[in-house]
Amino acid sequence: MQSGQKEAAGLAAGESWEAIHQTLERSHRSLYLAGTASILLLWGVLTAVYFIVTFAMGELAPEFVADYPWYHGPVWAVLGPLGMIGSSIIGHRAGERNAGGAVARSAGIRVFLYWLAVATAAGLLPGVAGIWNSEQADHIPYTVLGVIFLGWVLFGILFRPALAVVGAALAVAVLAPYYLAGDLSGLISGVAVLIVCVLGAAWIRRSGRL
Amino acid sequence: MSKDEIVLDETIHQPTRLRIMTMLVSQEDGGRLAYGFIQQALELTGGNLTTHLRRLEDAGFLETSKVFENSKPRTWISATEAGRRAYASYLANLTKALDWSPPA
Repeated sequence: MQSGQKEAAGLAAGESWEAIHQTLERSHRSLYLAGTASILLLWGVLTAVYFIVTFAMGELAPEFVADYPWYHGPVWAVLGPLGMIGSSIIGHRAGERNAGGAVARSAGIRVFLYWLAVATAAGLLPGVAGIWNSEQADHIPYTVLGVIFLGWVLFGILFRPALAVVGAALAVAVLAPYYLAGDLSGLISGVAVLIVCVLGAAWIRRSGRL
Repeated sequence: MSKDEIVLDETIHQPTRLRIMTMLVSQEDGGRLAYGFIQQALELTGGNLTTHLRRLEDAGFLETSKVFENSKPRTWISATEAGRRAYASYLANLTKALDWSPPA
């Protein structure tokens, strides 16, 4: 190479190196995000169902709620596994549509383990905080959901900022009515979570197929 | 090889083809990617992607297979052994052209 040409070729080589790094990052990120919009929507529906069920229970069976304040636990014992199984199926299918091989499988397993760790932390935190008792049972779902939404924010920071925004919006949708709306907080939270999830999933899908 | 003799494979050195090959080679041996996944990840139009895939396929660097899965057509793409060797050689020459070694 001549000296002028060498410099030009060196610059192009530098750009090539950068393109390789960007592509690797983008490729891995896309594998981790497979099915995210649908999973977000699924959890939005489950959370909304939870809030609407608990609101209806408070309105229709206040004596039952007073006698069994821990009934939130059995509700999530049904909704939680539904969400975990549904998320796994959605994520697995989306991954299979994108790629075949050990790299894609590894991405799917990592995402599963990430959410398993978040769910475990969400379950353990109320115990550590000392609110696993009938007097404070009302606070448990908000603590658990707060950790789950933090999980979305962290996942978004790692892989896609839009998810972090949606995670923060979900936290506001649940916690703002809890502090501000009194008896109607359950109903408002349920509707607000559903709206945020539908809008968030549409936004994420529109800005890139997931 | 002296620095003046460094030659980067023109088939791979084109930006879009370099990105495609990077995605394919980053999969383990035998790993494959869906056409739609590459298109979405690299934000390419179908026509653009097809043109570059054909050029790489003609060079023997990748192979495509069209299958029906759940009654839906799907195109899978994977790097060939020759493509992996060419990419490794390209990376080696690129490193020499940059005159530095990437961190291990």
